[in-house]
Amino acid sequence: MMSVRNFHKRMILPSLFLAALIIIPFAAPLITADDPVKIAVRYRLAAPDLEHWLGRDEFGRDRLARVLYGGQVSLTVAFVATTIACIIGTFFGLVGAYFRGPSEFVTSRLSDIVLCFPPILLALLVVTLFGPGSVTLVAVLSVLYFPTFARITFSEALRVTSLDFVEASRALGTPSYRIVLGTVLPNIAGPLSVQYSLTAAAAITIESGLSFLGLGVVPPAPSWGQMIRGARQFMNQDPLGIMIPCAALVLTIFAINFFCDRLRDTLDPKGASGSSMDEVSKPKAQADAPTIKDPDVVAVINKLRLETAHFGTPAVIEDVSLILRANQCTALVGESGSGKSLSSLALMGLLPGAIRQVGGTLQLRRKSDEVVDLGFLDARTLEDIRGNDIAMIFQEPMTSLNPIHKISDQMIEAITAHRPMSRSDARAHAIALLKRVGMNDAERRIDSYPDQMSGGMRQRVMIGMALSCEPRLLIADEPTTALDVTIQAEIIELLQTLRQDQGNGLSLLFISHNLGVVADIADRVAVMYSGLIVEEGPAAQILRDPHHPYTRALIESMPSSHEELNSARGDRLPAISGTPPLPSARPSGCTFRDRCPIALPACADIRPALYPSADGERAVRCLRAPEAPAGVMNHQTEAA
Amino acid sequence: MLAFISRRMAAAVAMLLVIGTIIFSLLIIVPGDPAELLLSTGGGSASAEAIANLRVNMGLDKPVLTQYVTFLYNTARLDFGTSIVDNGSISSVIALRLPRTLEIIIAGTIFALLLAIPAGTAAGLRAGGKFDITASAINALLTSIPGFVLGTLFIFFFAQVLGWLPAGGYVAFATNPMQHLQMLVLPALTVGLHLATIVFRMTRASVLEMRGHDWVRTAVAKGLRRKRVVRRHILYNALGPIITVVGLQLGILLGSTVLVEFIYNWPGLSGLLVSAVEQRDYPTVRAVILTVAAIFIGINLVIDILSSLLDPRIRLQ
Amino acid sequence: MTAAPLLDVRNLKKSYSIGRSGLFSKRSLKVLHDVSFSVAPGEVLGLVGESGSGKSTIGRAILRLIDSQSDVMRFDGQDLNSISPVRMRSLRKQMQIIFQDPYASLDPRKTIRAVLSEALDAHGLHKGAARVPRLIELVTLVGLDPSFLDRRPHEFSGGQRQRIGIARALAVEPSFIVCDEAVSALDVSIQAQVLNLLADLRAKTGVSLLFISHDLSVVRYISDRVMVLYLGRVMEVGPADQVHFSPKHPYTAALVSAEPSLHRENRRIRLTGEIPSPLALPSGCIFRSRCPYAQPACAETVPPLQTVGDQHQSACLRTDIL
Repeated sequence: MMSVRNFHKRMILPSLFLAALIIIPFAAPLITADDPVKIAVRYRLAAPDLEHWLGRDEFGRDRLARVLYGGQVSLTVAFVATTIACIIGTFFGLVGAYFRGPSEFVTSRLSDIVLCFPPILLALLVVTLFGPGSVTLVAVLSVLYFPTFARITFSEALRVTSLDFVEASRALGTPSYRIVLGTVLPNIAGPLSVQYSLTAAAAITIESGLSFLGLGVVPPAPSWGQMIRGARQFMNQDPLGIMIPCAALVLTIFAINFFCDRLRDTLDPKGASGSSMDEVSKPKAQADAPTIKDPDVVAVINKLRLETAHFGTPAVIEDVSLILRANQCTALVGESGSGKSLSSLALMGLLPGAIRQVGGTLQLRRKSDEVVDLGFLDARTLEDIRGNDIAMIFQEPMTSLNPIHKISDQMIEAITAHRPMSRSDARAHAIALLKRVGMNDAERRIDSYPDQMSGGMRQRVMIGMALSCEPRLLIADEPTTALDVTIQAEIIELLQTLRQDQGNGLSLLFISHNLGVVADIADRVAVMYSGLIVEEGPAAQILRDPHHPYTRALIESMPSSHEELNSARGDRLPAISGTPPLPSARPSGCTFRDRCPIALPACADIRPALYPSADGERAVRCLRAPEAPAGVMNHQTEAA
Repeated sequence: MLAFISRRMAAAVAMLLVIGTIIFSLLIIVPGDPAELLLSTGGGSASAEAIANLRVNMGLDKPVLTQYVTFLYNTARLDFGTSIVDNGSISSVIALRLPRTLEIIIAGTIFALLLAIPAGTAAGLRAGGKFDITASAINALLTSIPGFVLGTLFIFFFAQVLGWLPAGGYVAFATNPMQHLQMLVLPALTVGLHLATIVFRMTRASVLEMRGHDWVRTAVAKGLRRKRVVRRHILYNALGPIITVVGLQLGILLGSTVLVEFIYNWPGLSGLLVSAVEQRDYPTVRAVILTVAAIFIGINLVIDILSSLLDPRIRLQ
Repeated sequence: MTAAPLLDVRNLKKSYSIGRSGLFSKRSLKVLHDVSFSVAPGEVLGLVGESGSGKSTIGRAILRLIDSQSDVMRFDGQDLNSISPVRMRSLRKQMQIIFQDPYASLDPRKTIRAVLSEALDAHGLHKGAARVPRLIELVTLVGLDPSFLDRRPHEFSGGQRQRIGIARALAVEPSFIVCDEAVSALDVSIQAQVLNLLADLRAKTGVSLLFISHDLSVVRYISDRVMVLYLGRVMEVGPADQVHFSPKHPYTAALVSAEPSLHRENRRIRLTGEIPSPLALPSGCIFRSRCPYAQPACAETVPPLQTVGDQHQSACLRTDIL
């Protein structure tokens, strides 16, 4: 979200620029005493001198005066017409969007029709009938542009009206006119003001174009278009004559466009300049990577630390270490913003451009049994690894497949990217995969488009595609969160079956916020809170007997943990207070301490390490856990 | 698919009908006698005889409904009647001049697409990079130069100062192909650059948007080569929105051609139009505008069908 | 429960027209089929179903935010089917809604003060000097600090925004609130806080809730009675614990068994096939295409809701299985 201050700062320059170019023409009497229409043929095409800074035109008229007064005419015509168009158009658009019905039809059809006429042609048509002149121009331009305003207002208002907060106003019984003026209009003011500037620029272009043809502003009244028309014949002898009105015209339009671009950027930061980076940031090479000896280990994340690309910002991920083994499902659990998805994206080499790896290593055992450090690989090798040695499925099955390619094409390209196979072989392989993930009638349905499938089916396609090259590691990032509960159960079951069937001992990294799902599928669990792993170990142990107060709170907060409680009987859920901190507002010491029911003063001083249990099976990041070493305990009792 | 096309065609015909009706009714709603209005020049009015002649000539003496039906019937047969000024057949003049206008537009469009789509893609893929900043700045400047100003400046530099190309005029291709093409360069460039600024902007925005979609991440996660991800999962998806915008902008392009042809003395539809407007030859103006609107609707029909081929979601709805 | 229900709905239907199939015949998509229910004063009725079950549509139809058809729709003794727009506007003081998305449900341009004042202004409540104390009372009631009044929504977390949404609904002192997936977008630790808040408010103010959610355990915890919907039809309705722990309809049973749980052993009832398209619903019982217990008879008739226990009804022909 762009701050208000930043907004103002970015708008200062374009606003000043625009204001200057609008005000200067209207200050003409202060700048020059000359009459823009007084002819002095004796001085025709005179060069600039001290009294006539810009020289004189083909009739000996003072050019400075003509440029300034011409600007008055052009700007007045353009802004009056745009304002009229804006008011009428906004009115029609709002009525159409809020009340729908026939007014909606009129609004959208009307603009379709007017948009069919090239604007300048419609202007010419009217000029034929009514003759040239400023008033005709204003009338034509208003008629020409109000449908565009109506259309934009209509679609924007329709978008805003469907938002919950407008529905809330209706539910409150706020009168319609107050909803439209007080809630809808302020929320569409941004796009409208952008359109206003665009239209003003277009109106100036058309006005000057018509005047250039001699069909706009009636001579001798000055206008920029006319000046260019007049100077054209003397282009050779007198280049200045043509440059001056051209420059005035271009500068003015540029000022409006510049203002409009900035306005659009600041109103919609994502659409404009976007992230200044490429879409993926590269893993970092670290020399001190430990060597992997255990042949069962498929991937190791060691002391991963991620920061946003802005200098001096706090780490989004402070310290994450994970060992992923063959034939094992490791669940990464946490609430939104805990950093669980980023950790897995790092392992794919898919971190968003705005995030940077500043510490730690990411190692992977390839299918050839070669262990690689992702930080030392070039982009090409990373491409070879993705989808082949390590695959991923995502949360949103509805958007994770490209809507304009057939399922068959998307699966085949995944296969042929890593396997030298003919298209027909790849297609047969894809059909076999779809059958394996439980799609009936796979031969026919492989040729459908994603939009013809339900969410559950699309997630099956994603799973089939991920398994197409028999990867050693499959990352599933909230794969069932967007699905209905019965479909979720089917997908979890499918993942379980596939894991058992996969010959090479597939390792599964399962990311979820839902402990119930995790209990169903995971062998090991790592719980994340605010960029740190706070507890890690065998799933059964951790979920039955959590040692970290946060893990305990997560389990206790779930209504399904309390089947005996009912609010009707006055029962309350055991909830913890507060919200997870933003990376920039983490408390000192233990990041959980301000929400922790058992925090001690010592928790504010020490950021606990991940203390391993005696058998090395589990670890917990809490001073009060049984795993915490004696030294820390001493410190803690002293402080108490 | 067939149903889709026939539905769109029906809509296009309906649209033409509405436009024809609007243009027809403009003459009816004009206050006073249109014949008198059209013949009035400056302050003076024409003789009663001339007005009466024009009324008969344009059929203004008949009942409105008869006029309307006749107008629609004749228009459907591509018979636009005769010019008030020289009584020549408007249809044959249009048939002569339309191809010349289309030539500029087609050449300009090709130039614009060849320039703007690669540039827009490169800028969108690395938004905020050096190329993007430079290209976007040039684009912002070019957007601010109206077509007729750009044309005038081109003549000044390329014809007057440098003397590389002719300042304007027209020679039939059959007469002198080389000269014809030389004369085509500047008008096509002027029209094309203007369109290019719009296509560049749209391509950049569209690529930037598509690049952020989940399916692009899926494609990268599949291990596809970067080139293939860009081509198949970003550019291919961006193409639909781009051609839709090109279609809508062609209206403005057709309009700016009027000025460009005028500047370069290119004897296309615009010369006809401008002189007709000056002489208040309403039937000719009406015919030219109907032709242009029909072309615009036709192009958008083609684009509708094209984008439905590109995007199954449009077909499936 | 008392004899006179606060809300009584009989045979609520809703369909959308979706383009045309031919040139003239319009196709329509039925999303609600004859849904009947009532809510007693002070009662919480839970509405459970998967996507496409029509549960959100019911909430909006009752509040007259969308058009619908029904034989009876009475709220507090007034017929909502024949009510004048003016009367409806003043009746809105009594019925409110809390939305799912805490980010979309607040106008980003309005301060919390403006949001809550709009609610009071709509019905001319607490004017003048009484305004500020009332606003402070409201934010305190939902567990927020009065200093938050002049902040805008983007300065708040999801849970805090949801509390503001609740305060807005409570501002007019309604007797009935539709909670449309009101806790679904929240993280589990925040969800528990908001659920407790709703439970407290209910105890304090005696407000009735229509609690719409896809999460069975949440609905079971918060509701007195639960109604289970599938593709716009009522499958089962009854006391919350009974429906949850001893469901009588195979769909409810499957739903409960599919819910992932930390504490229960997995004894999942497998459903076959996919959810049918609302444009091509099966004849007879709409659940039969996925029901493990379906018989030929299920295709013949639409099973009516039959009483299967105290206040407990189920729409299944096969009363022999569960």
